[in-house]
Amino acid sequence: MLKINNIEVLYHEVILALKAVSLEVPAGEVVALLGANGAGKSTTLKAISGLLRHENGKVAEGSIEFLGERIDRKSAEEIARMGIIQVIEGRRVFEHLTVEQNLKVGAHLGGNGAMVRNGLEAVYHYFPRLQERRNVVAGMGLAPLLIKEIFEIITRLHQEQGIAILLVEQNAKLALAVARHAYVLEGGRVVMDGPSEQLRENPDIRDFYLGLTDLGARKSFRAVKHYKRRKRWIT
Amino acid sequence: METFLQLVITGILVGSIYALVALGWTIIYKCSGVLNLAMGELTLLGAYVCLAFYTWGFPFPVALLATLIVGFVLGLLTERLFLRRMIGQPILAVIMITAGLSFFFRAVVGFIWGTDTRVFTPPVFPTEPVRLGKMVMGQVYIWSFLAALVLLLVFVGFFQYSRWGLSMQAAADDEMAALSLGVSVKRVYALAWAIAFMAAGVGGTLLGNINGLNISVGYLGILVLPAVVLGGLNSVPGAIVGGITIGILQNLSGGYLEQLTPGGVKDIAPFVFMVIIMLFRPYGLWGWEKIERV
Repeated sequence: MLKINNIEVLYHEVILALKAVSLEVPAGEVVALLGANGAGKSTTLKAISGLLRHENGKVAEGSIEFLGERIDRKSAEEIARMGIIQVIEGRRVFEHLTVEQNLKVGAHLGGNGAMVRNGLEAVYHYFPRLQERRNVVAGMGLAPLLIKEIFEIITRLHQEQGIAILLVEQNAKLALAVARHAYVLEGGRVVMDGPSEQLRENPDIRDFYLGLTDLGARKSFRAVKHYKRRKRWIT
Repeated sequence: METFLQLVITGILVGSIYALVALGWTIIYKCSGVLNLAMGELTLLGAYVCLAFYTWGFPFPVALLATLIVGFVLGLLTERLFLRRMIGQPILAVIMITAGLSFFFRAVVGFIWGTDTRVFTPPVFPTEPVRLGKMVMGQVYIWSFLAALVLLLVFVGFFQYSRWGLSMQAAADDEMAALSLGVSVKRVYALAWAIAFMAAGVGGTLLGNINGLNISVGYLGILVLPAVVLGGLNSVPGAIVGGITIGILQNLSGGYLEQLTPGGVKDIAPFVFMVIIMLFRPYGLWGWEKIERV
């Protein structure tokens, strides 16, 4: 169980990025984090994984707990060791290492050689194409997966391995389809949260994030923008 | 033709020592972006440490091993004491610290061992030269080459196959991504300095065996610069090729140009070469072309 209690995040001691954000990821569940660009989704993730400090940010108030232990003062290394791994956005592979070396870096916390080998096998089980290319340098000859494939694999990982996932994705429709619960961030605050089915039916969510009107038809971009200007949760 | 071959081969043998020191230099740059201005003093320090063990009566291989261990510890210590608190500070400030370290270590060496030239007595390697056809080669060169080669292989193997070596490479590639996977960047920096100290120490020792040991062995630290610029500042194979190339170049210019000039060509040639390389390939032969966004 990962629990964020009312945190406030500051960059460079002055820039307020998150304000009074609380959320929960129960063990073994998929939770989605929705929000526009700059709403604070990445900051929330970095606050959890301890990468904030690296960008001169800090959790100024509130606390983050994982398995009952406070982790908001721990280093990224300790947090990773506890079992929380942030998959950073963008194609962040180690370009000058081979595919297998990339995976070995990922497995370096995993202890002995047998565990690393098992881990590698599991990865190749989920991504068979990688096995063919295990000795290819990752910066060349690796194509990103399609969003749909990624979602399929996320669902499988969740179902087969019981991994809890906090999912941040611009594609709200897919995210809501996979997650059980979702939070909506805007301007650094949680403005709404609830079970996915409920959010899918919420008229504001349908308009803002799913681009659907009540009729279920796609609205024009201009109309959405207009609406966005008119209605805000926070003023 | 024999002279040419002789010069080239000697160049390769000496160049392997440069390659070793260049590798140590590159590791620090690759992992932390720091231009280590104290590399020459690290070679100096390592060489004197080995000399000390040798004069206390340890056999040379044991003395060399002890130097490696002392270098490892000193590297960790230096990083912990002087550089750890500079993580996250402007890189120029860190580079100035290494400049300070260079004076510090030089003074330490002068304080403990004085400034007279010392030699390894009794000579570590047999002094009678080896004949290869018409070429004559000092045994010290051949043994130094072998020692440097073994250490280079060990280091390259470490980077390619060991868990820590891989995480060092990962941190060099994308520090944020490495952090997110739980790689401890502090430990990566510490290891980089430890490896630099070890490589420099052995490089200095070997060079001290060839020419005798005094402050001028520290000049090697500057000579490493053209070697790594040629290979690409952050490329391990580049550092090795660069080091050997500089060795050959230095010998050739010494052999052919020295008699035409008042002297010193041998020392200048690598730097002239470096400037030419930078004009055509600013990233060296294998450097990563990093585009810095401002």
